[in-house]
Amino acid sequence: MTTPAAQPPAPAEAEGRRIPVAAVADFPPDTRMEVKVGNALIAVFNIAGTYRAIYGRCPHQFALLSRGRLQGTVICNAQTNWETEWAHEGEVLVCPGHAMEYLVKTGQAIGYNLKLRTYPVYEEDGVVILVV
Amino acid sequence: MPSEIEDLDIKATKVDAAFTPVQDQDLDQYGEALAQYTIVDTDVHVDDTLMRMVDYMEGHYQKRLQAALQADFRGEPGNSLRNMIAHVNWLGSSYDKPPRAKLATKTELMERMQLGIINYSILFPSELLPIAYLPDPKWAAALATAYNAFMVDEYGNLPGVKIALVVSPNLPDHAVEQIAKYGNHKDVVAVCVPDVGVNPPIGDRKYWPIFEAADHYNLPIALHGIEALVHDNYPLRVSHFPTLMQVHSMGFPFTGMLQVMSVVCEGVPVRFPKLKFCVLEAGLTWIPFIMYRLDTAYRQYRTELPALEQKPSDYIREWYWGTHELEALPKRGDLRKLIELYQGEDTTMWASDWPHLERDLIAGFMRYDLSETQRRKILGENAVRFFNLGDRP
Repeated sequence: MTTPAAQPPAPAEAEGRRIPVAAVADFPPDTRMEVKVGNALIAVFNIAGTYRAIYGRCPHQFALLSRGRLQGTVICNAQTNWETEWAHEGEVLVCPGHAMEYLVKTGQAIGYNLKLRTYPVYEEDGVVILVV
Repeated sequence: MPSEIEDLDIKATKVDAAFTPVQDQDLDQYGEALAQYTIVDTDVHVDDTLMRMVDYMEGHYQKRLQAALQADFRGEPGNSLRNMIAHVNWLGSSYDKPPRAKLATKTELMERMQLGIINYSILFPSELLPIAYLPDPKWAAALATAYNAFMVDEYGNLPGVKIALVVSPNLPDHAVEQIAKYGNHKDVVAVCVPDVGVNPPIGDRKYWPIFEAADHYNLPIALHGIEALVHDNYPLRVSHFPTLMQVHSMGFPFTGMLQVMSVVCEGVPVRFPKLKFCVLEAGLTWIPFIMYRLDTAYRQYRTELPALEQKPSDYIREWYWGTHELEALPKRGDLRKLIELYQGEDTTMWASDWPHLERDLIAGFMRYDLSETQRRKILGENAVRFFNLGDRP
């Protein structure tokens, strides 16, 4: 079981349809699920005990983001004094199609004016619940 | 509508991260739509690394390649510093992000074909594309010899699989021998001329024996680019580019423009009117530029090109084009507008570049607004005509 502190703010009050994804025991840290809701795909990750859910297809050529690797990337901005640094370790979802990168927490595409939808996920009674 | 939401089909599946690029998983969403088409994938690559070539090399070249492989790579090109030096400036950008490009095995190729969506795959060289800028053209010819023998041996007589010969342009006599050797093979459908780094450009009379031989065997010429990693003979010198992104972006289309201009301005289409040409892996957006730019200059400089009987764009309009790599056109109708601009409805051929990293998933093509007729032509009919697939069982 994960500790409550590792969870994002409980989104139990978030509006939307509740979709049970899996039993908590079947969705351990560092695994991922692909959830098909009608024609839509949502990629759900358990990242060291924190659940993240993001729209499941890359808008470039529709590759499956649930298959993407999670890693860090390079950044260079005013905060880094315009030096290139490695950042966001473990939080960057790399599209398995052509390697577009997304911050899995916010859906923001790195280097693009583009943000994918993200969805609340929480645990309740031993079940992982996705809110769409 | 609420009732539909209630009826949504919901399914959660455990999945794993992909360590190789996803390939055709996207095909399912277009499965029914694609079933009505004959689909030719115009640009497909299989494993042609040097290890695969050894057994097919001839004479001392076999011994020398064996020695080179043992000394350098131990079978893993990625382990060779000398090989990697070509990438070293770009190592970070090219190799730090998964998924890395890979080469397909025969099993993987046949699994893809067995999905039943793609009717023909045209195999083009991958690792051997730089042979045109090897300093010693005899080495290039030796590798081309091995490649052609390997491909016909390994990939001949497979359903839906067709082969483009590779020739070394810098040794035209050898190229002619290779074309004569395989020109009548039922699965050989084109002559691939690696065109990056070729000096003089490919329209020069030096190469005309290659065109004559291809014309004789009714094989079209396919010009296939590559990132010019190490060579100075380039439309732009490689030293202009600090990043692989820039090499990649400019290299393919600049090579394409240079070679199209060269072939047309040297009068090749007049001398070989039946010979078909295509450019692969250079995208499409530059085609109207070179057509109409040349037409403009032709008005002033026509006397430099006395062999031409029509304006340059009239010849270029007869060329064929692989769609790969589809430029990131912002609107769904933009591809149709672009094709109208270069009048390419009958000469544009879908190509994936599978399984390379920058391959186009078929969904990337399907997202563009095209008429049913345009889709049918571009996905297959144009390529069937270009490669004479109807004539070769």
